[in-house]
Amino acid sequence: MSEVTLKNVKKIYPFTEARKDQKTDAHRIAHLQITDEGVIAVQEFSLDIADKEFIVLVGPSGCGKSTTLRMIAGLEEISSGELYIDGEYMNDVAPKDRDIAMVFQSYALYPHMTVYDNMAYSLKIKRTPKKEIDRKVREAAEILDITQYLQRKPKALSGGQRQRVAIGRAIVRDPKVLLMDEPLSNLDAKLRNQMRAELIKLRKRINTTFIYVTHDQTEAMTLGDRIVVMKDGFIQQIGTPQEVYDHPSNLFVSGFIGTPQMNYFDARLEKEGGNYVVKVKDYKVVLDDEKQARLAAKGVEPCDVTLGVRPDNMVLGEGGIKGRVEVSELMGPSCHLHLDIDGKDAIAIVPTEGKAKDYTNMDVSLTFTGSVCHLFSKEDEHNLEF
Amino acid sequence: MKTTRNEKAKLSLVLSRVLAYGFIVFLCFLCLFCFILLVLMASKSNSQLQGAFSLRWGGNFLTNLKNAWNDASINIPRGMVNSFIVAMTSAVITTYFSALTAYGVHVYNFKGKNFVFTFIMAIMVIPSQVSAVGFIQLAYKFGLTNKLWLLIVPGIAAPVVFFYMKQYLESVLPLDMVEAARMDGSNEFRIFNEIVLPIMKPAVAVQMIFSFVSSWNNFFMPALLLTKEQYKTVPIMIAQLRSADYSKFDMGKVFMFILLAILPVMIVYMFLSRFIIKGVTSGSVKG
Repeated sequence: MSEVTLKNVKKIYPFTEARKDQKTDAHRIAHLQITDEGVIAVQEFSLDIADKEFIVLVGPSGCGKSTTLRMIAGLEEISSGELYIDGEYMNDVAPKDRDIAMVFQSYALYPHMTVYDNMAYSLKIKRTPKKEIDRKVREAAEILDITQYLQRKPKALSGGQRQRVAIGRAIVRDPKVLLMDEPLSNLDAKLRNQMRAELIKLRKRINTTFIYVTHDQTEAMTLGDRIVVMKDGFIQQIGTPQEVYDHPSNLFVSGFIGTPQMNYFDARLEKEGGNYVVKVKDYKVVLDDEKQARLAAKGVEPCDVTLGVRPDNMVLGEGGIKGRVEVSELMGPSCHLHLDIDGKDAIAIVPTEGKAKDYTNMDVSLTFTGSVCHLFSKEDEHNLEF
Repeated sequence: MKTTRNEKAKLSLVLSRVLAYGFIVFLCFLCLFCFILLVLMASKSNSQLQGAFSLRWGGNFLTNLKNAWNDASINIPRGMVNSFIVAMTSAVITTYFSALTAYGVHVYNFKGKNFVFTFIMAIMVIPSQVSAVGFIQLAYKFGLTNKLWLLIVPGIAAPVVFFYMKQYLESVLPLDMVEAARMDGSNEFRIFNEIVLPIMKPAVAVQMIFSFVSSWNNFFMPALLLTKEQYKTVPIMIAQLRSADYSKFDMGKVFMFILLAILPVMIVYMFLSRFIIKGVTSGSVKG
């Protein structure tokens, strides 16, 4: 059992002379809230993480995801709120007594020790018998396929191998919770994809709770059982990757999750014959039954909205939104069309169906169905269905 | 035409190399000249040394060695042992505690951290002679003269060593590594001793050499605090030999003693210099 519960957790970095300038910069970048007490990095963070769940905290730089992870690890003090691990209050427990392991973005391996000693270090501190240490280290090395490097020093390893060692050092302890702070962000694209697949396999082999921090939405979508999208210290949405992708709670989440990014249009939500319809200039789409029911239940009145449609939901067809293709990128099975629609950028993904076609400088018309429309309030950018 | 240009380029390259190597050889010679001179002087008798200056081998090396070693007025082995105890212990203590202080100031965030750093730096500008007056008075009032540890303990507070260590830590110690060790279950002292100190080996080696040499050569404080024969260190003994009366004065013996006195320093340097290697932390973090 290793459940993690966070209740209204808040992190304030109090002003100190040394940090004042630094935090002002942080504020400028991330629009964090500044109070008399200091800079608020995380607030109202409440989350129940189930045993053996893989939770991914995702968000742009400065959103508070790493701070949250460090608070769980005990490396940052919790300003207010409560943290429980397996029902035990952990706010004031030292990192070493939380039975948590962490993989750092920078690997943080001990350069003067061999891979074996790096992995065995935590066990030696625990005074584990030598035979047991040897068994556990070799077992972890076997899982991560680094057995042949056990006697090497970190400097003799490649980036990917070092990251495996860092993971090995964490899993060798059988921790209750395994924290990962952007572990793949230092690797090149190919290695990152490979390591992502390795992490999925690893997750199946070791039964523990994972909390993973990343700014890469692809990692979040592929690895997490649930993902927590954060912005400016606040949780924006918690849900399974599919839920977050299909029903983003606000404009930020809709834009952050999904590649290429969702397209937005200024639109008008209206009621025609008891049905909700959305109009973008002359193009009119009747929303599907599910959306009709949700909007009706919320009592949404006709209003101006921001309409969001994912690029892969846009189809070339007659009578739709008109635009001009500026760039046409052939991606193999599909073609990415970068469009100019009334001065705004948009992307559409159209299937090539085996025939490569260059759409550059062509005027096209794009249509979509009512089931793929996401309607966001113009006032506070929340999804009108929520 | 092309060949001539190539030959010219080759010639200028060879010339610049010859000049560069020549300059390096000259610098090496300048550095080694004093040592060569010392060995030559130690091989001469007092009368040879009183005569005209020459760079020839004197032939009295072993005689001078015997005379210096067996001099009744000074006990060279005792002086060497005293000096070694003081220099080695103070070098170890100075580097360890300075590294520990630097680690504390570098890694922890606490109120007044900047003040602590500035205060330690401010001590650097106070000449040791100024603080020595008070220290010597204190030592005499408490009857603490003729104690070797009195020369060792003040060395713990070495702002220059602290500053060097702090700068070194800033360049080689990622805080992630300290946090990783904390997550591994290590306590703060263990982190310092098992993780940080090995990473600091090159800096520790450099500062140990400096501390050892300065302590070994220190004449000022030992001369004021050590009066009994059995506690005297090498620099005091050399001074004693030089100030011997005219009938006993033997310059060859003095040179021989100076030669003997620098041997331990050279041995310590040769032993520690192998730790001064670059790239000790390479591979620990991204980069």
